[in-house]
Amino acid sequence: MQKTLYLFANGRLYRKDNTICVEGEKERKYFPVESIRDIYVFGEVDLNKKFIEFAEDKEIILHFFGYYGNYVGTFYPREHYNSGYIILRQAEHYLDSTKRLDLAKRFVQGAVANIVQVLKYYQNRGKDLESYLYAISLLEESVSSVSSVEELMALEGNIRRYYYESFNTILDDTPFILKNRSKRPPTDPLNALISFGNSLVYTKILTEIYKTHLDPRIGYFHTTNFRRFTLNLDVAEIFKPIYADRVLFTLLNKNVIKEDDFENQGGVFLLKERGRRLYVQEFEDKLRTTFYHRRLKRNVSYQTLIRLELYKIEKHLIGEELYEPFVSRW
Amino acid sequence: MYVILVYDVNVNRVNKVLKTARRYLTWVQNSVLEGELTEATYRALKNDLTRIIDPEEDSVLFYILGNTKYTKRELLGIKKGGEEWIY
Repeated sequence: MQKTLYLFANGRLYRKDNTICVEGEKERKYFPVESIRDIYVFGEVDLNKKFIEFAEDKEIILHFFGYYGNYVGTFYPREHYNSGYIILRQAEHYLDSTKRLDLAKRFVQGAVANIVQVLKYYQNRGKDLESYLYAISLLEESVSSVSSVEELMALEGNIRRYYYESFNTILDDTPFILKNRSKRPPTDPLNALISFGNSLVYTKILTEIYKTHLDPRIGYFHTTNFRRFTLNLDVAEIFKPIYADRVLFTLLNKNVIKEDDFENQGGVFLLKERGRRLYVQEFEDKLRTTFYHRRLKRNVSYQTLIRLELYKIEKHLIGEELYEPFVSRW
Repeated sequence: MYVILVYDVNVNRVNKVLKTARRYLTWVQNSVLEGELTEATYRALKNDLTRIIDPEEDSVLFYILGNTKYTKRELLGIKKGGEEWIY
């Protein structure tokens, strides 16, 4: 299986002997191009056009993050699976408001089902989450009856508010508290960690979208605009609870990431490099984990699972099979 | 599959072999590289190397492990190189 390279070191990233070379302060390291799927750049790295061309040739995606761990952007190589047909179907499903709402609802239903799954997991481990589960189940029922994407957005926002409140119960053995969800900038450590995890999920899904015929610019739950990729945000709704949040709970409950892994810069909280490395490590371990896929009757990794999900969306778009989002069973 | 590549080739070709192998595997020691490959990339690597070496005097060995679950790797002395994906 192809791997992901995370670069925290500072230095130069370039093409050398037809492979990827990172020149740091004291050493030069080579990475096998043929086994690299994507590169996450966190450090202050210099690179040139030759390298970008090389990445395009090898179909490697580069994700860039800023000094604060914020998502900067992605080098998305020229489309290699060009399919006008799928793009037309994607646009058709966006422009037809019933079709769009139908798909958007499916994403939200998948997201809520996975949120519930996460809460149940912790309830089985002795956390009292009954009230949150009840509140969410009430809201979940009205998902099918909303009549516009805007209403759906609002409803999803309410569900998420309950979900994030429940974090305090799940993490009651740790010093971390979540008052409310704050982004851009995160105002407490937990928010910083949630945002960091989410941006990893968004970019991972983008990497997988590149390997399908889908166009990441057309999303359904998130409004397609001039600025950014949106399809990966839609798909991420489903995977955020089981990927990012589960990793977060594991790391905090096991006391792997501690309070001093964060720094406070005038009310803005940042995850320090050690914390980022630990998070990324756990996240990658999660993605490499395999489980038995009932329908395919073989083991698949969590990484591959993302791609399978995208194939299901393709099938929905070309009218072969209705899209049923992945719901974790454990 | 996990592959360990060991080579002993004429000095004129040592660099060529190293440069080619490094595109697929991680350098661990002089003349030793290892890493995870797919069937296809393994075949590509073998093809590339066949073109470089002289079958009359060079020797390249591949140790192929289905997976690394049942193997153990011990190290004496210093670590010269190896797989690191978070750098």
